[in-house]
Amino acid sequence: MRFYVFIASVFCCAFADSRKIRGISSSYKRFYRERKSFLCIDGSKLIPFEQVNDDYCDCEDGSDEPGTSACPRGRFYCTNLGFRPHYIPSSRVNDGICDCCDASDEYNSHIRCQKTCWNLGQRERAYVEGQMRTLDEGLRLKQQLIEEGVLLWREKQAQLRELQQKAEDLHLKVEEHKKRKHQADQHKEQTLKTLQAGGAGSRQHNNTASGLFQFLDNNKDGSITVDEVQARVVTIHDEKRLLSENEAVALLGGGRQMDLTMFRHTLWDTLTKGDNVKIRDTNAALDSPVVEDPLLMAADRAAKWEATNLKKVEEAYETVNMEISDLQQKLAIDYGTDWEFLFLNSQCYKLQVYEYTYTLCPFNQVTQENTAGTQVSLGTWGMWAGEPKNQYSQMVYENGEPCWQGGSRTATVTLTCGTETALRSVKEPSKCQYIMDFQTPVACQPVLKQRGIHSEL
Amino acid sequence: ITRVKINELKPLKPRFEVPDVLVREPPTEPLSLLSQDENGVVLSLGAESQRVIVSARPFRLDIMEGRDVLMSLNSRGLLAFEHLRMRKDTHCPLTCILLFLYLLTSLFVQQTTKDEDDKDEDGMWEETFKSHTDGKPNGPSAISLDFSLPGVEHVYGIPEHAETLRLKTTDNGDPYRLYNLDVFQYELFNPMALYGAVPVMLAHNSQRTTGIFWLNAAETWVDISSNTAGKTVFGKMLDYVQGSSETPQTDVRWISESGIIDVFIMLGPTPKDVFSQYASLTGTQSFPPLSSLAYHQCRWNYNDQEDVKLVDAGFDEHDIPYDFIWLDIEHTDGKRYFTWDPHKFATPKEMLQGIMDKKRKMVAIVDPHIKVDSNYKIHNEIRSRGFYIKNKDGGDYEGWCWPGSAGYPDFTCADMRSWWASMFAYDQYGGSMENLYTWNDMNEPSVFNGPEVTMHKDAMHGAWEHRDVHNLYGFYVQMATAEGLIQRSGGVERPFVLTRAFFAGSQRYGAVWTGDNAAEWDHLKISIPMCLSLGLVGISFCGADVGGFFKSPSSELLVRWYQTGAYQPFFRAHAHLDTPRREPWLFGPENTALIREAVRQRYTLLPYWYLQFYQAHCTGQPVMRPLWVEYPQDPATFAIDDEFLIGTDLLVHPVTEEGARGVTAYLPGKNEVWFDVNTFQKHNGAQNLYIPVTMSSIPVFQRGGSIIPRKLRVRRSSTCMEHDPYTLFVALNPQRTAEGELYIDDGHTFNYEKKEFIHRKLFFANNILSSINLAPDAKFSTQSWIERVIILGASKPSKVTLQTADGQESQLEFEFDSSMSVLTLRKPGMNAGEDWKVMLQ
Repeated sequence: MRFYVFIASVFCCAFADSRKIRGISSSYKRFYRERKSFLCIDGSKLIPFEQVNDDYCDCEDGSDEPGTSACPRGRFYCTNLGFRPHYIPSSRVNDGICDCCDASDEYNSHIRCQKTCWNLGQRERAYVEGQMRTLDEGLRLKQQLIEEGVLLWREKQAQLRELQQKAEDLHLKVEEHKKRKHQADQHKEQTLKTLQAGGAGSRQHNNTASGLFQFLDNNKDGSITVDEVQARVVTIHDEKRLLSENEAVALLGGGRQMDLTMFRHTLWDTLTKGDNVKIRDTNAALDSPVVEDPLLMAADRAAKWEATNLKKVEEAYETVNMEISDLQQKLAIDYGTDWEFLFLNSQCYKLQVYEYTYTLCPFNQVTQENTAGTQVSLGTWGMWAGEPKNQYSQMVYENGEPCWQGGSRTATVTLTCGTETALRSVKEPSKCQYIMDFQTPVACQPVLKQRGIHSEL
Repeated sequence: ITRVKINELKPLKPRFEVPDVLVREPPTEPLSLLSQDENGVVLSLGAESQRVIVSARPFRLDIMEGRDVLMSLNSRGLLAFEHLRMRKDTHCPLTCILLFLYLLTSLFVQQTTKDEDDKDEDGMWEETFKSHTDGKPNGPSAISLDFSLPGVEHVYGIPEHAETLRLKTTDNGDPYRLYNLDVFQYELFNPMALYGAVPVMLAHNSQRTTGIFWLNAAETWVDISSNTAGKTVFGKMLDYVQGSSETPQTDVRWISESGIIDVFIMLGPTPKDVFSQYASLTGTQSFPPLSSLAYHQCRWNYNDQEDVKLVDAGFDEHDIPYDFIWLDIEHTDGKRYFTWDPHKFATPKEMLQGIMDKKRKMVAIVDPHIKVDSNYKIHNEIRSRGFYIKNKDGGDYEGWCWPGSAGYPDFTCADMRSWWASMFAYDQYGGSMENLYTWNDMNEPSVFNGPEVTMHKDAMHGAWEHRDVHNLYGFYVQMATAEGLIQRSGGVERPFVLTRAFFAGSQRYGAVWTGDNAAEWDHLKISIPMCLSLGLVGISFCGADVGGFFKSPSSELLVRWYQTGAYQPFFRAHAHLDTPRREPWLFGPENTALIREAVRQRYTLLPYWYLQFYQAHCTGQPVMRPLWVEYPQDPATFAIDDEFLIGTDLLVHPVTEEGARGVTAYLPGKNEVWFDVNTFQKHNGAQNLYIPVTMSSIPVFQRGGSIIPRKLRVRRSSTCMEHDPYTLFVALNPQRTAEGELYIDDGHTFNYEKKEFIHRKLFFANNILSSINLAPDAKFSTQSWIERVIILGASKPSKVTLQTADGQESQLEFEFDSSMSVLTLRKPGMNAGEDWKVMLQ
């Protein structure tokens, strides 16, 4: 798109009036048509026409003295051919200071004013053109950034969804692992109970073969195994020593397991009548930690393993949830109508002003660092605070480091249109209140385009 | 004036007598002996059958007029004079004998001559205060004298105190203290010492005003007691009814730590007489540049040149005039005065030129503490010339102040002062220009790590101890600075120097302000009595920080403060570094408009203010006056300090109450009338008038019988208004007469001393308003003319004729408002410097 500078040319009708009324614009000429009398524009008073611009204020509204300094509320029109016309307060007429670039305000003072309208106009036009170019370029870049922003937004949304999916999966996993851990815990508890019950019941059941068998058959599967023998049977000479596998196999009659029938005929006799092996004294067993029981130890290991697994999964779940809430928080920030400010997130911009370096990380924080490297927070992201018609023109960062006289530091960042994104100025007009000028293409507003310049030739 | 001087006949060493404060050694007149007996003499004081009776035992002086005793000295026998003595060390405890052994040997011979009556007491030879030690090598040297004032119930003066105009008795507390101190957040209604000291007290009753000027620069205390102070109104009435014989009397006692008794008794009899008597001793108010009477915009600190530019532009954008923008200490390169911060104020001349282009000016601060830094020219020069104050051991005294370690130039030394003055030359003070003026702060002197934040009393100024000269230090700083500003222009331009510390005579060198006040309603109120008290003792160019220095004012307080400050002599807004910005346009359009209006009122009245200062300069009369000064016989005025007069013709009762709906103003003068300057409504004098107020109200009244010239075309700065025409406000009294004056000169040079000015009397009587030349030998021409004459309390004429100097007559157009009896003459147009007559028929 191209933008054009409109140059409106108004030809002044220099001979239309018989007498030039100083200090009025052409649109007001109708009030000053030469007649016998002049009616103050507010209608308050009728005065002889000679009293217009006679350096005495007759009208309350100052309308009789547009060209002199006589009226306190009057205004003087600078035609400023070649530049922008404008009004100045009457008090600036003939005050020895050049205000109008056409020098018309100092028609009766000691000062010689240069007529600068043409130069000013050129400069202004160049400036406006520059502004226009900046705006053009800025808007183009903004469009890109908007597109990028949309993509980024989508990307972030996708990321969020992904994370949410991950979280869901993890949630299921957590549930499963909870279940598993629960089972392992139960098994461990049962083992412990049996062990304790076994210790208490060993003497009860020792007098019957089936009783003892039951006692030895720890896992109640109807047969005694090497493990189970090792767990409960010891040699008489050395109660503390665990039977070796070979010894246990020997006791089981050379096999790895033994059922009740076989038990009655072999191991039962060995245990009740022999003087070689015996049932471990459960009292002694109770003295030493139950954990030493291999079955219990296995159950415990399993429970611990499940607990560790659960923790890992839970942690992973938490991390993902945190990522989600982080992302949600970020996405909850207002990044403009087209997410055009989104790209600023996670960026930082620096500027050195006198002895300080200022860092603006948009939507995050503002800091100040002195040459000694001490860093002070000037505020964290607060809100958009621009005028209602363009709230995205200003950001506020608040609750920075507390100030000596109370309150905390705040930074107000004004966004202006530019082709680059950069921090342009930082000021501290009052202690602890910082104002920053931040330039970025995304602050460019199409409305600016309407501003133009016209010159009267 | 009677001067009483008491010194030791043969002191061990000279005692300090205050130099440089008196404008000249007052001429003496021989007293004629009226009678004499074995106990005393009666001497004639010349005029008006005034006599002084000197009695020997007990010693006392009674000053009489006719049968009345005007004042008695030492009637209570409180005259005390601690004569200088040698140190007795015999009572020294064993532990310190070793320390003083060397002293003993040197003093042993002399000790035999010492006065046997003297007993050593603790603190006579050394005092400690907190962690500070005062060496007191001269020992005790205090002096004291009492004064009795029969018939007096009202005493005033002895500033600076944050106190009511009428001084209180001190029976139940501390005396009023005079010792220049940098007080952090001072308390109100308190006799504590503040930044300045003027040891002058005025005593007043409806018959007579007298004054006491105690010329002593050491720490001074003033006790006031009164025999009526304790009495209730009922008690006083009872006395009156019962014809109680006891006349009211006020007794005062002055005590100073060192020096001599040197006291001037000013006998009036009118307040004006006392002012001129005092002015004959210490001089009058310096005649300030016209622009310095306009509005000053200050802040600690305008951050950099761009900030200055933006503030300057802000005033134009909001159409508020101002004349001076100020820079506080941050403008310097590391608190090295006479320098500029190389980054923030890199091109000071460019900045000053920008301000000059708007016909405005700047003030930069120059404090008397000098950073000890061998790369700093000012420091090196002072050190190498030996101009620093010395500590008691003879080395350069060093204290802690804004720059860190700092030396204090000995301003009591004339050579030092002339060197200091030479530092203001344009080629010495880099970046300075003719529109840069100076502000002397911290000149009590402020020493952050000194006793009571000031200098150790045993520091040495040549042969004198700081103890002797303390209250003079700030006076000398301003004197040397003002001299510097005069010299840099080759003696052409009038200086403008603001000082925080001051002494008697400081009026000769510029303006003072009431120091670091606070944004509180009571501080706004106290600004009136504080400046009134200063005016009574010669210092007319006084103001308080508009808005309050510490803290942040509400917009209501700020507006009210502008409205009050606009009617006080020195009109400057100032704010502490830690306060939010408060330029006039930062409080919404309504408040901006209110402030604009207050400032504009000031500018319209600048011709009147300028005239007041010219008169103060010529006569020593105060500019801002308590009512009793103009109405000395009206007891109702004696304690009023919430309203005041500017000159004789404007009465101001600013609104100083939060949320005020109205104020009650006392309009003085039995047969007088007063005109509300806004509505032109006429009110009778000698009444309390209730005035309803809104946020825009500044109750101001013009005295019937006066003529006040104004310039109604308010522009960006006072300089822009130089050639503008005048509007004359003629307020008729019941006799249908009025008079006023108009003074015009170039506004900024000493050429008025060469008779380059216009001084005219404006006179209305018999329906003729005329302008009469008061200074026929003076020559000056002005472009200003009379654009309008507004006659208040007039009746409608049938014809108005103007007669100009060349005898030509012309008819003037006029308008008459019969509801308010206001006659407005349209555009008479005569030059303000010429003779003319306007006749009403």
